[in-house]
Amino acid sequence: MGFERFDPTLAGHDLVQDLKWDKKLREQFQRDEKSVLDRYPLRPEERRAIEARDFRALYDLGFHPYLGGQLSRLIYGNDAGGGALIANKKLVESLQGKS
Amino acid sequence: MAQIVYAAGVPHAPAIVGLIDKVSPESQRVVRDIFGGVRRELDEARPDVLIVFANDHLTNSRILQYPDFLIGMAAEHRGPHEWFKPWIGCRDYAVKGDPAVAEALFRGMSKRGIRMFGERGNLNYDDNISVPSVLLDLDHSSMHVVPVLQNCTVPPFPDQHRCYAIGQAVADFVRNDLPATMRVGLIASGGLSHEPGGARYFFIDEKFDRWFLDLCVEGNHRRLLDELTIEHMEAAGSGGTAELLAWVVVMGAIGERRGRSYGYTICTDFRCGIGAVSWGVGNYH
Repeated sequence: MGFERFDPTLAGHDLVQDLKWDKKLREQFQRDEKSVLDRYPLRPEERRAIEARDFRALYDLGFHPYLGGQLSRLIYGNDAGGGALIANKKLVESLQGKS
Repeated sequence: MAQIVYAAGVPHAPAIVGLIDKVSPESQRVVRDIFGGVRRELDEARPDVLIVFANDHLTNSRILQYPDFLIGMAAEHRGPHEWFKPWIGCRDYAVKGDPAVAEALFRGMSKRGIRMFGERGNLNYDDNISVPSVLLDLDHSSMHVVPVLQNCTVPPFPDQHRCYAIGQAVADFVRNDLPATMRVGLIASGGLSHEPGGARYFFIDEKFDRWFLDLCVEGNHRRLLDELTIEHMEAAGSGGTAELLAWVVVMGAIGERRGRSYGYTICTDFRCGIGAVSWGVGNYH
């Protein structure tokens, strides 16, 4: 894993930050993900990876793993022992090529 | 001359709050021993202000504008930030800040050639400040808190040598810039091995953790600086373990001295090795 491919210029990093900081945006993301993704200058392959929940592809593009973990929680759930655990497992499965 | 009267490194894994009831009695005991013991030592040391160094975890700044050190200058620090609350599973808290010490720290670092950033409003706190605040009951104490959130995860970030030098500058700042009677405590919040967001999310490197804790107890800082490289920490958990650099800042501030370990526990639910070290109570100068 590591930071060998890390690309700080990926716009998806701002997407995750804004979703954390803005509850209304988060609610919109849950209702209508496409309309939120449209707001960000995501590279086509970056957007495809987010839409496909393909964290392996996203990390290969240079996504920061810490924000990748948070994106997984924004998608699958964020509560201790419940949604966050599912999010962790989904993330690891994707990164290990098991999903 | 102001004094550093206490120093410790403690963990902040969110699960030690939110999932504590689900883990083994032994893991629960270690967490209780750590935070109960550190709180007792704090009560004995009676610091007026605690400067808490902790990984920012990309919680406050965009990745293209990321500060290496960010000082919380507010009169009160409230947390956890709304999005992190269910993840940590912790109560709301508000600890006393110290704008005067925070401003003095900013000035003191600037004049010593160290660029820090400051925020007068409430910063976003995740587990970094929230976990020690609630487990040490800092919101029910007379101690004031100055958080310093640190870049431990957005490359390139300050390595062990730079962090140690910053700790030495912090000690000089305490000695020379703060009011003569002020008593200062230093807390490093973070670690041990973990890989948040990585393919090894559930991996904990027990061998690394025990090696690091032993080194902290031994107090041999030449070995610490030679061996605690970013590469070494990354191998023990990428993107997470390097938050031990907050401990390096504190060890730079107090200089070589033996520490006391509060034990160690490994528990997959925590997704992080859990241990703590304190470096005693008393005048460090």
